[in-house]
Amino acid sequence: MEYIKKNLGSYNLHLIKCQKFKSVMVKVYFREPIKKENITIHNFLTTMLTFSSNKYKTKREMVLKTQDLYSCSISSTDTRLGNYLNTCFRMSVLNDKYTEEGNLEKCIEFLSDIIYKPNVEKKKFDEKSFDIIMNQACLSLSSVKENANTYSMIRLLENLDDSPISYRSFGYLEDLKDIHAENLYSYYEKFIKESDVDIFVIGDIDFEDIDSIIRKYFKARTFKKTKGDFIIPAKRAPMRKRIVTEENDSNQSKLAIACRTYNLTDYERNYPLTLYNIILGGGVDSLLFREVRENHSLCYYISSTINKLDNIMLIRAGISRDDFKQTVKLIEKQISVMSHGTFTEEDINKAKELYQTAIEEIEESESEIIESYYMIELLGVDDIETKAKKMKEVTKEEILAVSKKVKMDTVYLLEGRYQNEGN
Amino acid sequence: MKEINFSKELELKGYYERLENGLEVYLVPMEKKDKYFITYATKFGSIATQFTPYKEKSERTVPNGVAHFLEHKMFEQEDGIDPFTFFSESGTDANASTNFDLTRYICYGTKNFDKNLRYLIKYVNSPYFTDENVEKEKGIIAQEINMYKDEAGYAIEDTLRKNTYHSDNHRVDIAGEVRDIEKITKEDLYLCYDNFYQPQNMFLLVVGKFDVENVKSVVDEVLRPLKNKTGELPKIKQEKEKKPVKRESEVVPFNISIPKIMMSLKCERARFDTKDEVKLDLYLNIILDLVFGNSSTFKERVTNNNLLTKFYFDIETIKNYKTIYLYAESTHPSELIEEIKKEFGSIEISLEDLERYKKVLIASTIKCADYVDAVTVGFTDDISKYGKIIGNPIEICKSLDIKELNTVLKGIDFKNRAVVTYVPKNMPNLVKEEVNE
Repeated sequence: MEYIKKNLGSYNLHLIKCQKFKSVMVKVYFREPIKKENITIHNFLTTMLTFSSNKYKTKREMVLKTQDLYSCSISSTDTRLGNYLNTCFRMSVLNDKYTEEGNLEKCIEFLSDIIYKPNVEKKKFDEKSFDIIMNQACLSLSSVKENANTYSMIRLLENLDDSPISYRSFGYLEDLKDIHAENLYSYYEKFIKESDVDIFVIGDIDFEDIDSIIRKYFKARTFKKTKGDFIIPAKRAPMRKRIVTEENDSNQSKLAIACRTYNLTDYERNYPLTLYNIILGGGVDSLLFREVRENHSLCYYISSTINKLDNIMLIRAGISRDDFKQTVKLIEKQISVMSHGTFTEEDINKAKELYQTAIEEIEESESEIIESYYMIELLGVDDIETKAKKMKEVTKEEILAVSKKVKMDTVYLLEGRYQNEGN
Repeated sequence: MKEINFSKELELKGYYERLENGLEVYLVPMEKKDKYFITYATKFGSIATQFTPYKEKSERTVPNGVAHFLEHKMFEQEDGIDPFTFFSESGTDANASTNFDLTRYICYGTKNFDKNLRYLIKYVNSPYFTDENVEKEKGIIAQEINMYKDEAGYAIEDTLRKNTYHSDNHRVDIAGEVRDIEKITKEDLYLCYDNFYQPQNMFLLVVGKFDVENVKSVVDEVLRPLKNKTGELPKIKQEKEKKPVKRESEVVPFNISIPKIMMSLKCERARFDTKDEVKLDLYLNIILDLVFGNSSTFKERVTNNNLLTKFYFDIETIKNYKTIYLYAESTHPSELIEEIKKEFGSIEISLEDLERYKKVLIASTIKCADYVDAVTVGFTDDISKYGKIIGNPIEICKSLDIKELNTVLKGIDFKNRAVVTYVPKNMPNLVKEEVNE
């Protein structure tokens, strides 16, 4: 794998040459500091851009064009990265070798058109497309509760604090009414001018060719800004954990727990904490899985994840509401197993092995390779090889030190009203 | 081992052998990849609940959900070492899953290939069921069942299957009901294990980075000597499924805010002249995608009229039938159902549509063949559905013709349909139940 990065003034171009894939993937990232009031319009905008364009006025025309380009796939996603709102436009298509000469360039032009030549007339987005997106957005934002798992996580974080951690990264129903075809365009102009941009291309590519194609279709449009801080400042958990419960019409209850990580160094956040999480709740051989599922048959799934940029750890499980207290108690017990250091060298070695495999598997996916270079760009984290090396050397003492800095903050239960009654 | 002939565009090679004991071995090495994916599976799924064991006279009935329960319990080993622990020590992911026709055990990773392959075979070949460990699993599976019952997408599919089929076991949920699994005993598990986890009913599929010679020697050493417990596989009882759908229409209030609609078209297999199963499935998929998919005028029209948010389709094969499923979400379910019915009456597919679609299909097939996971999923599906890996999808795709496509289209039984609508609890009268004309 060969990697080069070029500073093209208004954006960085990252090229990764890799012979193991038959397709080429392009990701164009736009990011800006997150503001709660902008999230909804921001999501609306990116959906709009991939729905129709100046050249292809309807969704159907867009789809027919992608089919004509040998099934080139195009999508966009909006996510929160700590203090930032991050948009990714992604295009993936077979290498010209498997299609026809010039197809890749056409696909890159198509992607560029989606971003830079929107379906706009007289500083206003096309009303027809706008109405369709509005209806879809309205429905999807009013049905958030349908996915109890996601909903319980949202409610947990909203109960945790009011920092960006608690923002719904897909937007708010009540903000939709303020969006119209004109102010969406003003927002678009700002989005294009003020976002930080990085472009990645990966595949069996020729650096010079791709460099000139990208320069041709992605002209300087943004102003480069200084790097902001992505990480949300750590907060201390309260002395006693908070418990919040709400009801819904389900059979199963969803348990969601937020723990704070406090006072971690960058090294601790990137290395010992990662192993801490794998041991506690990272997989099907973790302490939580063994204790809560295997030893007590209380759930089908239970796991923990680290949100490094937010300085929190999340635990989730699906349980019966009658087992709520017992489950929380067992989880607390496992957290104290960690902080008392009663986990073993064997646990640590297993976690290290799983980590190494996960790192090696990154190289099987174009999307994840790009993602890991993007994180290096944004956060200055170590590259894959260094990560693999450093992780091997983490000691039990270091994990133990981290475990003293993890504390339960808020416990949320979305209580299923119809336990075992059928729905 | 024999070579599998792949379409040259896929740039794949592969080997196949059916061992003397009946076990099938498929090897698809991919040198450029770092990852491997091993599947060890039995062609035993949730539909096998009534069967006559070999040389026994009478039929035995086991509780619904037993195949899935058995899959969970394979992770219990007499030596006390949990397979999950073994694989996590070797830095490898492992899992298992059950569907209507298949139970598969998988592990995937980048290292310790030989050790993991041997262990995967060993643990699936060593059942250890006790009254206690069977009892312990019931709470876990009850939670799994409850989780799926809450999800409207799963629940509506289950209701629709029950309304489509009279007696075929596809009408029963794969995991069963909580009351079914409460009845399961270790004797049930051993009965199913002894009858269906035999070499003659199983296959091994290895995809990705590995040394073919290495696997061949493991096969010789471990799989070839395996003996079948019975001379023949037990006969699974399948009652003759009646032609009409069981119930044409049902409306169910559910914990949702956007109504969900699901429709089945139950078509007798004999209605289709196309004998080749692979081709028939391909034609049906193409028809459905061209008529209802993203490039269709139907999708454009109903989306523009705000009648549709989500849509997908699927095809299910059961004995003597092909069932087409359409799923949609819409705030105006009755109007949408009318639109779909209207579309049924006016389907036209041109040569140009078909040729455009072939281009898409060929490109996406080549793309898929580039990923270890996608290749595994595709080939597992092939083995389960067609009894072998379909190595020449590109040639098959190129051979499709518009005349035959239109004959397949005529075979679809648009009239023999069941519709289920899930409506929000506060709008129970949004849709009326009605019967087919």
